[in-house]
Amino acid sequence: MAKIEYVEANKSEEVKEILNPLVREWFFTKFKDFSLTQLYGVKNIHDRKNILVSAPTGGTKTLTAFLGILNYLVELALKNELEDKIYAVYNSPLKALSNDISVNLLGPLSEMRVLAEKKQLKMQEIRVGLRTGDTTMSERAKMAKKAPHILVTTPESLAIILTTTKTVDQLKALEFMIIDEIHALTNKRGVYLSLTLERLHSISLIEPVRIGLSATISPLEEIAKFLVGVGRDCLIAEVKLLKKIEISIDFPGNEILETETGESQKELYKMLDKIIENHKTTLIFTNTRAATERIVHYLDLHFPGKYVGAIGTHHSSMSKDQRFDIENKLRKGELRVVVSSTSLELGIDIGSIDIVVLLRSPKSVSRALQRIGRAGHKLHDNPKGEFVVLDRDDLVECGVMMKSMIEKKIDSAEIPKNALDVLAQQIYGMAITKIWDVDEMLGVIRRSYCYKNLSKNDFFDVVSYLAGDYALEHRYVYAKIWYDAEKKQIGKKGKMARVIYMTNLGTIPEEGFISVVVQGPVEKRGQTVGKIDESFLEKLKRGDVFVLGGNKYQFLYTRGMKAYVVADVAKRVTIPSWFSEMLPLNFELACEIGRFRGLVKEKLKSKEKVIDFIKEYLYCKDKIAENIYDYFKEQAGFSEIPDDKTLVIERFKEEKEYLLFHSLYGRRVNDALARAFAFAAGRLKNRDVEIGINDNGFFISGEGLDEEKIINWVKGKDLRDILKEAIEKTEILKRRFRHCAARSLMILRSYKGREKSVGKQQMHSGFLYVAVKKLSNEFPILREARREVMEDLMDIDNAEKVLNLIRTGKLKIAKKRTPLVSPFGLNLLMQGRSDLVKMEDRAAFLKRMHELHLKVIGEKNK
Amino acid sequence: MKIKYVGKCLFITGDGGRKTLVVGDMHLGYEEMLNRSGVFIGRLMFKEHIKYFKKVFIEIGKVDEIVLLGDVKHDFGKAGEQEWNNILSLFDYFFENINKKGKIVITRGNHDNFLINVVNKFRRKSEGEIELVDFYILGGVAYTHGNKNNKRMFDRDVKLWVLGHAHPAVKLKEGIKIEKYKCFLVGKYKSKKIIVVPSFFDYVEGSDPRENGLGLAWEFDYANFDVKLVGENLEVFDFGKLKKLK
Repeated sequence: MAKIEYVEANKSEEVKEILNPLVREWFFTKFKDFSLTQLYGVKNIHDRKNILVSAPTGGTKTLTAFLGILNYLVELALKNELEDKIYAVYNSPLKALSNDISVNLLGPLSEMRVLAEKKQLKMQEIRVGLRTGDTTMSERAKMAKKAPHILVTTPESLAIILTTTKTVDQLKALEFMIIDEIHALTNKRGVYLSLTLERLHSISLIEPVRIGLSATISPLEEIAKFLVGVGRDCLIAEVKLLKKIEISIDFPGNEILETETGESQKELYKMLDKIIENHKTTLIFTNTRAATERIVHYLDLHFPGKYVGAIGTHHSSMSKDQRFDIENKLRKGELRVVVSSTSLELGIDIGSIDIVVLLRSPKSVSRALQRIGRAGHKLHDNPKGEFVVLDRDDLVECGVMMKSMIEKKIDSAEIPKNALDVLAQQIYGMAITKIWDVDEMLGVIRRSYCYKNLSKNDFFDVVSYLAGDYALEHRYVYAKIWYDAEKKQIGKKGKMARVIYMTNLGTIPEEGFISVVVQGPVEKRGQTVGKIDESFLEKLKRGDVFVLGGNKYQFLYTRGMKAYVVADVAKRVTIPSWFSEMLPLNFELACEIGRFRGLVKEKLKSKEKVIDFIKEYLYCKDKIAENIYDYFKEQAGFSEIPDDKTLVIERFKEEKEYLLFHSLYGRRVNDALARAFAFAAGRLKNRDVEIGINDNGFFISGEGLDEEKIINWVKGKDLRDILKEAIEKTEILKRRFRHCAARSLMILRSYKGREKSVGKQQMHSGFLYVAVKKLSNEFPILREARREVMEDLMDIDNAEKVLNLIRTGKLKIAKKRTPLVSPFGLNLLMQGRSDLVKMEDRAAFLKRMHELHLKVIGEKNK
Repeated sequence: MKIKYVGKCLFITGDGGRKTLVVGDMHLGYEEMLNRSGVFIGRLMFKEHIKYFKKVFIEIGKVDEIVLLGDVKHDFGKAGEQEWNNILSLFDYFFENINKKGKIVITRGNHDNFLINVVNKFRRKSEGEIELVDFYILGGVAYTHGNKNNKRMFDRDVKLWVLGHAHPAVKLKEGIKIEKYKCFLVGKYKSKKIIVVPSFFDYVEGSDPRENGLGLAWEFDYANFDVKLVGENLEVFDFGKLKKLK
């Protein structure tokens, strides 16, 4: 059995002892002493133990990983024993690595070289090679000739390297493998990397030591297993820097209900201005790109001239150069304030930020910590942050989040398991390098933590797809590998294999931007008014009104990569523009909020007691507690407060009948529950049902809804089977299928020297989707798209848990009839419908519409 | 003259009893084109087509001619042996359902530059008569692909135009539900009756004239055209004028 074990920090002396005199001297001319992180990590790495180092940001992690390794290399270099091979690989998900590397690697190396020369010590050169997507051909050729001793790379480039014979030779005796920012790899990119690492191990003569570096993340044991794979030991160094978090919560004005008014908007910017004024550099996180632009715009509007040249934005749709420019200005201290969506959460050192403002909820404790950790990035500064909330749900949510942050209750991350699209790409990559024995190949794959339970069936299903079996008589056209069932061997097919693999590998789906073009009124026809991203487009239905660049538009239809709209509409906005970018509320945090609701509910009778309780429980001030009290009081008076033990279901009527479920479990769980219940409702009446989902609940709306029957129907059935049917006709499944099809190389982004646009990929995948469904409803890549929707996009496991709570009576159902939506449900309803669960098939719909139509025509003729 | 809508196809019985089956744009070989550009897609269209035609011939029996309204093949740039064979066997299959002395007429479309090669190959190996023309006029009906105008179509004895090229389809809406169906568009233009035939191509329904130009060579008043939606099992539903459809 592999052991996962927590370790304590070593003593400074112990670490000092292992350092070569030269390295020791260098270190102590630069630093007073080892950092706590170094005391935890350096000696264990020196002792060649696999280790996961988890420390809050600003914990000198990178140098921790490198110090022991540099020490080893310097010793070899001094003895003239350095070989021409790669000793260590440093892998980071960030492409813009050069700054970190020069600080943590190139700097120290050249300083030690100078020191060695001073002492007239002869030392071989220690070479560092950088290999990312941006590395030029000549640099690559240089590396191929002379191996760098330390190779700095990304997950994608590492996979490419594994198919190049020359570099593979240089890697065969690799000794250290560093995975930085492992907390940012709990996704398909990480799954992909885990297989790449196993492939690397399968060619290694010695087992390289794996070193994982992570910010605060939970559960550490899982991340450790993910790092080392199956059957290997791993140490965990949980570095608890005694950093005190300074965090508070506030909203503009005195009444949170009024924050939507114009006056209060002014208050918001006054409030932000004051924060900026009181600090040297302020970083504001907004969650969405649109909000980022808005903040900058209004700060300038309310304080003319004040912020010119002192404010910057940083978000993912900006060009690399623009972002780099902002990062540089930050490091130089030229900016007073930077507004970012999510892009500044990760990695790269951004200089001295002294406060982080969290505008709207960051939706998870670890994300909130990561964000405020950007302030006080230097070792001994305390991170400082402030929540600025703008509505009542956010107030409660951020209040509870703040409590968890202060009490260090970190919510946990999940890593996708058995992803078949990533598997397909890796099997192809493996087949390119040699002819494999099938069992050996499966063995290598199963050593990855993400595939340890991969079934033989799934494995051979993917092999079948790659071998072209699904195309039946035309297998030769489509096959990427061959599989000899008698000899039990697998190999590549086609001369182009390596090129196809190298130009198409990777797991990050390409998202397209859609131009918004005005179709009416006539005088504006043809104007392009801006761009929206594809995932937002996906949410739009004909007739929806949305905001872009401060103006309202009504959506008509799309054509290729263009969306046609009507400008100058007076209607109410039906889809908020941040919809698609919305981060889902973490399940554990959602449950914490449920518990908090319950505790408040118990004490609601005495206003004083409740307010005191809230203040103490959430570590907040009077104003916050009073507003939370008001919100709860209203809900209790109107309907009932839902909590961790009570699922309140409200029935009310607007133009249709509504069932609103106050299920505070986060939108991933609610998405699964809503679709299952809507499917049940649809099945019972054989009609389509509309749904709306947010983190705090969901509604279904239609005709003749019977909550009792609906709940019982779902309770008695397998959620997975219901969802499989319920998502079958959704756009989201089609879009995810496109991503999976690209990952599994069914659609090649780049082929015969030509790149396909996202629009073309989308169109092609539409055909492909139709074709694949005709081939087999259980086609592995289609199954993977379903898995991704159910497990990654939704959270079927926790949804199942909620259903179990209902089944066993631990979660009681409280049915309420209300004249209209209750206070707790208001945000959900305002946000509008989000999808339709289709029950009626196309042919039946056509017939019914025809009958309806005949009636209309008939009545007119009378 | 009798006109019958048979699923995606049009069936015309002339005054003299001559039976004509009309088939819209087929875009055969689309899958191969995708495959050549790096999209793994099986070859399903051909088999599906044969299945569909079987149903059609059960419904209407043998015919005297089959008019293909152009864009039969998506492109012939690098068509492989297999693709050629598919088309040849489609023609063979057609002749099994065409009376003696009957023929296939193809009105050339914008995608059909290389079609002549296939037709020649077929002529070499088979007795069946295939005509490849820009437009075809018989019994008061003018058939053409639809991307190009031609004076002859305005001849007085021509009463009806039958056109392809446009891929017409219409969206039906109820609340937030939207579904699109292939359709025939039937109307009038300068005293001629017009029938626009939906594409036979399987993977997409087509374009809604309320949202997109259909690319035909004439400015038709589609709002006043009748819409006939194609359902399953060769059913076709009359929905009246397009402008009345919500």
